[in-house]
Amino acid sequence: MNTRLLDVRGQKVELIDAGAGEPIIYLHDIWDVHTAQAGMFPFHDQLASFCSVTIPAHPGCGQSTGIADISDIEDLAFHYFDVFDALGIKAASVVGTGLGGWIAAEMAVRNPERFKRLALIGAAGVQLPDAHIADLFMYSQNRDGGIMDALRELLFADANSSLANKIVPDGRVDIADEVRRYKSLTLAGRVGWEPPYLHNRKLLSRLRRIACPSLLIWGEQDRLIPPANGVAYAAHLPGSKLIKIAGCGHSVILEKPDECLQLLKAFFKDDAITPT
Amino acid sequence: MNDANQVSVYSWHFMPWPYLDDDFDEKYESGWITVPNSLFDRGKMRGLYQEYLDELTEADQLGFDGVVLNEHHQNIYGMMPAPNILMGALTQTTKNCQLVVLGNLLPLHFRPLRVAEEYAMLDCMSNGRIVAGFAPGGGHEAYNYSSSMPLARERFWESVDLIIQAWTKPGPTSFESKHYSMRYVNPWPQPLQLPHPPVWIPGSNSRETLYQVARRGFCYFLSTRTKFTRAREAAQRFRSVVEEVGQTYHPDRIGLLFSVYVAETDEIAQQECGDAVFYFMRNCLKGHLRTRGRRLNNAPGGLTPESYQAFLESAQPGAKMLGDAESWDEINEMGSIFAGSPNTVFEKLWQFVEGADIGKLLIQFHIGNLSKEKTLKSQQMFAESVLPRLRSESANLYAERFPQRAEMTISA
Repeated sequence: MNTRLLDVRGQKVELIDAGAGEPIIYLHDIWDVHTAQAGMFPFHDQLASFCSVTIPAHPGCGQSTGIADISDIEDLAFHYFDVFDALGIKAASVVGTGLGGWIAAEMAVRNPERFKRLALIGAAGVQLPDAHIADLFMYSQNRDGGIMDALRELLFADANSSLANKIVPDGRVDIADEVRRYKSLTLAGRVGWEPPYLHNRKLLSRLRRIACPSLLIWGEQDRLIPPANGVAYAAHLPGSKLIKIAGCGHSVILEKPDECLQLLKAFFKDDAITPT
Repeated sequence: MNDANQVSVYSWHFMPWPYLDDDFDEKYESGWITVPNSLFDRGKMRGLYQEYLDELTEADQLGFDGVVLNEHHQNIYGMMPAPNILMGALTQTTKNCQLVVLGNLLPLHFRPLRVAEEYAMLDCMSNGRIVAGFAPGGGHEAYNYSSSMPLARERFWESVDLIIQAWTKPGPTSFESKHYSMRYVNPWPQPLQLPHPPVWIPGSNSRETLYQVARRGFCYFLSTRTKFTRAREAAQRFRSVVEEVGQTYHPDRIGLLFSVYVAETDEIAQQECGDAVFYFMRNCLKGHLRTRGRRLNNAPGGLTPESYQAFLESAQPGAKMLGDAESWDEINEMGSIFAGSPNTVFEKLWQFVEGADIGKLLIQFHIGNLSKEKTLKSQQMFAESVLPRLRSESANLYAERFPQRAEMTISA
């Protein structure tokens, strides 16, 4: 694993590079690498065991700068085209979780030719009228001076698990991590606080433009972004396949890393998966 | 309203919902946003605004420098989602005092020109007595109106620019900023006061806000409930910024809110207002100044990461907030709610005047579910036995310490 700073049109982008093989860009979520903690989770280590993964930190997250230029999701999509250019990437395979999945989808509908394969995990971006995305910004605030159960409830199928309590503990974590999480929610708040909340009403009808093979993975008990929205994604994304993981909430990569990795491995390795 | 070189004293009202049951604190995590409005009672509401407005109208008759309202949404703490409407009523029932709206929440406006228009109307309706407060709003507002917290500050200052332009540049003009674009800026009527109504801005100490307020010649209202030592620090910080931008400091540039109940003796005061004060702390402060429940003050993106880090480093986790106080000893320790004889209340407030050079005292007389009768009694006793002394002693103090009352160099 290697961390570096890339200059992108005068702004800094912090990147983690790991592994070898097929290159994959990983666009992170709000509670993920660069956000919940600085470094990679075991999922990312495992991902790097079969591909060469590059994980940029979003503007304002980690050591990345340039948040003042971001005030909607389109700004983030164009930011990442600039990142692709700075990395010399013409077309990439992309994994996007949550917010990162939304960014990837917004990019892919604009410039589908820059995507080789697209895997979206619990992606934001689409919201059906009866499957509202939950208020992450309110429920990331503790109650009774430090109890974080509401956020654990949104991020994990089992909010009482030791994993959930480890990633989202009660009480204050150390100041560096508190600030890191604040920065992540600040970036998310710049693009997703206002209606339409963490989604774009025009995205669904634009998904038809995406031409590359695509895979959708959702935690069956995702209470942040209800799986019905994954079903909608799948219905509009040509040739895509939605796989729901049982006993899993929004944080698929934390709660069911092995199942998720198996699916990704098959998707990125297996040439048999082609658009229908 | 007076131009004398002395403190200014205002009567402040929150207009809370005063009919919550005793088990409110047990049952609900906040007095804000999600507090079910099935608790609202139409029968009990009848006459309530009139009662609250009467209390403020009487403050004018008693010679206060002004009355103050602010804006809150979907809560039991302050039922003033549209303070300008209430102020419209007060323009007709008051004769002399300043009318302070502290303030309109600018980022909640789709077109902030509306605020310039409404304040101009109020200034005309009151013959030039409006004080225009502008506030960026905090977490509660951002959640309430699904209005982005991280974008609030940039929108706020752009809105201020738009409103000042609307009041000072002969129209029609146009306005362009990152978030707002107005082809025609040309409001009728214009405010009566020149170059425009005084502007007050609440803040909780962020340096960015202090500089903007100082540089533009506005007044600063310290919006955190705070004890003397912290208030003094904040006033000193503001003073140093005022001087840094080349102006002369005067205590008239900064205000602070207190809750006050005055009675014949300390004992009588505590006895008469005790229930109301604890109603206020347990219920009205729930969701923002009470550990119990869900506090939404620190919504992500309200501060820069640097300011948030500084806040975390200075915050004492587990320290009691105002709404956590369980006894009068604890209340006295917090230094923001004063119940006592005229002499006791004078001494408490004088500390801020003399020791912190804070010159605008904003006094909340109606506390929680305090009755109209008690509110008026306390306010009147204050006006008769505390206010004159604050004025005369501050006049002596300022004659020596701040001989020049601040010349408001108002500029956009």
